[in-house]
Amino acid sequence: MKKTLALLLSLAMVVTMVAGCSSGSTTSSADSDVIKIGVFEPLTGANAAGGELEVEGVELANQLRPEVLGKKVELVIADNKSDKAEATTAAARLIEKDKVVAILGSWGSSLSIAAGDVVKTNQIPAVALSATNPQVTAGNDYYFRVCFLDPFQGTVMANYASKKLNAKKVAIIQEVSNDYSVGLAKFFTDSFVKLTGDPNAIVATGNYNTGDQDFNGILTNIKAANPDVIFAPGNFTESALIIKQARALGITAPFIGGDTWETNEFITVGGADVEGAVMSTFFDDTNPLTEAGKTFVAEYKKAYPDRENIAAVTALGYDGYMMTLDAIERAGSADPVAIRDALAATKDFEGATGMITIDANGDATKNEAIIKTVKDGKFTYLDSVTID
Amino acid sequence: MKETQNSIGAYLKLHWKTAVFLVVLLIGIGLADIFVDSYMRRLLNLCAIYVIVSLAMNLVNGFTGQFSLGQAGFMAIGAYTVAVFTVPIESRAAIFYLEPMAPFLANIQLPFIVALILGGLASVVVAFFIGSPCLRLRGDYLAIATLGFSEIIRIVFTNTQSITNGALGIKSIPTISSLWWTYGTALLIIIATVLLINSTYGRAFKSIREDEIAAEAMGVGLFKTKMTSFLIGAFFTGIGGGLFAALLGTVDPKQFYFTLTYNFLLIIVLGGMGSISGTIIASFVVTLGQEALRFLDEPMAFGLDLPIFRPGLRMVVFSFLLMVIVLFYRKGLMGTNELTWDFIAQKYRSIKKKLSGKKTSTEGGGN
Repeated sequence: MKKTLALLLSLAMVVTMVAGCSSGSTTSSADSDVIKIGVFEPLTGANAAGGELEVEGVELANQLRPEVLGKKVELVIADNKSDKAEATTAAARLIEKDKVVAILGSWGSSLSIAAGDVVKTNQIPAVALSATNPQVTAGNDYYFRVCFLDPFQGTVMANYASKKLNAKKVAIIQEVSNDYSVGLAKFFTDSFVKLTGDPNAIVATGNYNTGDQDFNGILTNIKAANPDVIFAPGNFTESALIIKQARALGITAPFIGGDTWETNEFITVGGADVEGAVMSTFFDDTNPLTEAGKTFVAEYKKAYPDRENIAAVTALGYDGYMMTLDAIERAGSADPVAIRDALAATKDFEGATGMITIDANGDATKNEAIIKTVKDGKFTYLDSVTID
Repeated sequence: MKETQNSIGAYLKLHWKTAVFLVVLLIGIGLADIFVDSYMRRLLNLCAIYVIVSLAMNLVNGFTGQFSLGQAGFMAIGAYTVAVFTVPIESRAAIFYLEPMAPFLANIQLPFIVALILGGLASVVVAFFIGSPCLRLRGDYLAIATLGFSEIIRIVFTNTQSITNGALGIKSIPTISSLWWTYGTALLIIIATVLLINSTYGRAFKSIREDEIAAEAMGVGLFKTKMTSFLIGAFFTGIGGGLFAALLGTVDPKQFYFTLTYNFLLIIVLGGMGSISGTIIASFVVTLGQEALRFLDEPMAFGLDLPIFRPGLRMVVFSFLLMVIVLFYRKGLMGTNELTWDFIAQKYRSIKKKLSGKKTSTEGGGN
């Protein structure tokens, strides 16, 4: 009895496998009046929250503009499980099984880098939405991006610290296991040293690992160095804990950081201690930079009336989709190589997060970043910084 | 057995089925290499790599009975060796943009095969230092030490910015797409493992697994034998890691969390601790099964628009299927059996007998 049941169950598994394969192949031979765009995001695993927000933006854009060249646009969403090996197979699957003409994503630079090779060899254009690492597009003609890069963000914050806060001495706390944090810290250092002309302007550097809880060792060193400002790019939970523990130690210097801070968890973990923390970000929903931004905010509020604020990555998801559709329209066909060429030629495209022009590397040249601060437990617009 | 092994001809006569199977398999790989699309190719390559690493883990855990959880760490060593030594020199400046590569490494580029073997050897060296204190002890010390080691390796690789590029990882590793690299290596490793298991060493491994005291009493050198198994396992895992890096074309420390080890633990438990063919079957079932269930993540599976069909469901179903298999096959799919011709014939006979027996007692029943 037991054996029969087991046999039946394993048979069921085999059947589902076959069903899985066959359902994949039937959809691939789809009629030609549908244009398929792959969305490749971490929807389970460590980065699921970020992936979910980007997909929201892409889906919203798809509802607003469901057609291009008179054909219906179909989104094919693939989960990459926040895992690199899975990311490459998910991208290959989108290309081979679903026959997509372009790919959007992924949250997390390392996942995009892993898929970079797949899109390059298969000649399918991909648009990274919030992957800020320069390596995503470097040396890859088929990867583009709509967000700004780590070097730019580091420079923005260095300018802010030096010009607006009149800082002379800065301490850096970086999340050493996070490529984003390490990159930002490096570019901040370079440009801050240049701005102040003082090679010793960085008075202390502290390293921590993702998941650490106790930062008193780092903070004691920093307190002794007595910096004017502390730059702490990194994951929101750890950063909030750092600020909390710094205040408990009596460090009064202001904290500044990057776009990853802009999540509700940052405020819930940090509480009153993160008041006044300053960060750079891509997008501000109360103060959209463009007409497209205003449309996006209005539509988002309509679609998700219970959300308090709009994540910048959602706006980037929206921009990625709209820019790709714009490229398809300009290319006049759904041929992936033609779309790639059109994407590379994107100039002054009006996105929700600002005007986008794609440069020779495939990166969006953006010269405006938004500075936000935490005020009364809310992220509020503080300033916008333009760098030439 | 003894007299047939005297000549190759007689050996072939006895194992002609295996020889034919091998030839068919090689032709099959060759055909697949030509006709399969890049998605399937990637999956098949991944299967082969999982076979290699799981087999190495089974050698230590299943055959020698030493519970080692360092797979992710040994893979990381192999993967990083391949990454550091095969990345084209001209693209190194762009990759190591935060901190230039250490000068003593910056101009060394090795052929893939050399880097692969070097990665395996590097794993062996590290394994030796972990094994020498831990394998002298009995009990769970090895599990704890290897688990700790794999975390330490990951953190070391995160912090050695000028060698491994830290958290940024290394990209542009020349990739392998041909199935021959992975399947060729897997085949070599399978053959090596089979020969090893059936040798004096293999019998010593199994005797340690069954009873350490009895094995020692029979004259098996416990430490030396355990060490042999552990080092061979580390070598194979390092090779597997190297192939993994070359398949993905990029490495970074986050790939080698200790959770990676559990994938392989899952495979060997599912396939049967102490079964080579079980490990191979389970590697394919796990890798292809996860991918085949992907349709469950889509909103319109089976033409039904149910809210449960959302990303993540396939992992729920997959875990459920695994639980069922482990419940009904407590020793894994194969237990300690091997998929030999005799085994197949015996199974075939017993199933036939059961079916005919059922037909006489009740009607229908089966499908």
